Amino acid sequence: MRSATTIIIGAGQSGLAVSRYLTDCSIDHVLLERGQVANAWRTERWDSLRLLTPNWLSRLPGYHYTGKDPNGFRTLDETVGFLGDYARNIDAPVRTNTTVQSVRAMGSGYQVQTNCGEWACRTLVLANGALSTPRVPSIAGDVPVNIRSLTVGDYKRPSDVEEGGVLVVGASASGVQISLELCRAGRDVTLAVGEHIRVPRTYRGRDIFWLMDAAGLFDHCIDDVDDLERVRSLPSMQLIGSTSMNTIDVNSLQDLGVAIRGRLVGIRGNIAHFSGALPHICKLADLKMNRLLRTFDEWIEKEGSDAVTEAAYALEATRVPQLPDLTLNLSEQGIKTIIWATGFDPDYSWLKLPVLDHRGRLQHDGGVVAAPGVYAMGLPFMRKRKSSFIDGAADDARFLVKHLSSFLAKRSNMVA
Amino acid sequence: MTDSNSSTSLLNGVNVEALLDARGALDEAPEAANFTFKAESEWLDGVHARMQMSDFFGLGEEQSRNKAFTVETDHPEVFAATDAAPSPVELVLSALAGCLTAGIASVAENRGIQLRAAKATVEGDMNLYGVLGIDSSVRNGFSAIRVIYDIDADASQEDLEALVAQSQKRSAVFDIITNPTNVSVALS
Repeated sequence: MRSATTIIIGAGQSGLAVSRYLTDCSIDHVLLERGQVANAWRTERWDSLRLLTPNWLSRLPGYHYTGKDPNGFRTLDETVGFLGDYARNIDAPVRTNTTVQSVRAMGSGYQVQTNCGEWACRTLVLANGALSTPRVPSIAGDVPVNIRSLTVGDYKRPSDVEEGGVLVVGASASGVQISLELCRAGRDVTLAVGEHIRVPRTYRGRDIFWLMDAAGLFDHCIDDVDDLERVRSLPSMQLIGSTSMNTIDVNSLQDLGVAIRGRLVGIRGNIAHFSGALPHICKLADLKMNRLLRTFDEWIEKEGSDAVTEAAYALEATRVPQLPDLTLNLSEQGIKTIIWATGFDPDYSWLKLPVLDHRGRLQHDGGVVAAPGVYAMGLPFMRKRKSSFIDGAADDARFLVKHLSSFLAKRSNMVA
Repeated sequence: MTDSNSSTSLLNGVNVEALLDARGALDEAPEAANFTFKAESEWLDGVHARMQMSDFFGLGEEQSRNKAFTVETDHPEVFAATDAAPSPVELVLSALAGCLTAGIASVAENRGIQLRAAKATVEGDMNLYGVLGIDSSVRNGFSAIRVIYDIDADASQEDLEALVAQSQKRSAVFDIITNPTNVSVALS
């Protein structure tokens, strides 16, 4: 059995950031990666996806963007290239094509079973991604057999989708982007809109993420929020990274001809049923967006920032049909495909440690998992709002490696 | 509120702290969160009926109230009925207002907003072609429901809108009305 002091599961931005700090502390470690570096970016997203965050907002330990297009958004290939370069620069000890099959407690450490043999370690970092398994609601089981169901993980490009009608379920980042792309490719798109977070791409001439970063929102800590559970389960922001700084929302999609419905609540035979709460859901999103924009206004006023020159303005409220249709006859409307853009879950099926709660969620305190020497990375609002962003990996990794190294020191003292 | 003294420190008389405590406790005890509410109904005469509500199941056991509430339903005279009580559909509208108003008071309490008045007007549109079986394409129930709130409180218009939105987000009756529910009706 091979061994390392620390095993990092996953070689994406989170695992690499931890690796860099472990190297700084001379803690020997390996990263076990089921595919190649940046595997999810490489294999589990659709072709046209660009990062939602601008290039400059991807600082990693010892790295910041120095290219010509700081305000651009990386394509998937560029993201894979960027993380690959980073892994080489920090000389990360990555074992590729190594899939973790189980993790169990063993002595004062852990045993990690992989498709390439067993490893033993004293400390463990779960950097396997918060968004690894597309979440599909149980009603997907009621889809008529002649209609194809695709998850966001399955969908790659419009040509994968049969001509005719498409029902996209979910109006967060994935759902709105795929709706836009399919609509432009000539499909008849109906979008089922549940709770979502509406934000404009830019406000007062600045990218929304520039404003969030500058106003300190990304650095909000878990101690700053009153309902951690809520902020950790928020859907992704309704955004697209594009070359034209476009805002994408329920209004812009309707302008292009996308039909909107409420949340999909059931399928009976050929009839899809939607919630009648669509006006409420859209109002909620508008209220939250306006509150966020006021936060920026207040920050700009307080700081007297020279970087923002445009005056404040209001955005158009989300347009909702007077009486939205509550049903959709899938066969009559020629719906050939349903795309489930209903979120992602992390996969812990291989984690044989008593650290999951009754809903299967990892129990942790700011990334310090409820088992000695086990740490998590990259989870939503794990320590800060930016924890699940590339730019958030550095702060969390620095903190957790410090914790990990003092854990190891205490262990050594006890043994001595 | 049976004991008005206990509510003196509360803005709107909603014990939000107890609700938040319950939320924390139930997260740890998922079984206790499963409730079953009940109503018993008896036909009186014509289209007039009386419903009684008392015990319910929750927190893992039968919850006895030691008292019963009754409501009656009838239909208006234009339906050739005795109009001895509100119609069932009016009770549905009332239940929606009751649920949303409870939500508004609770959320206001939690956000430190003192309510002086919170009035709602609820309207439901119904085409009788449905219930009378004249046109099968017309549904029996409401085609649309509108709730208009008139709230007097020390809060901005935006805060009040957020209050009303949050009460919908957490309302059981709003969910019951806007989303489908599996319903079975059988003979004993």
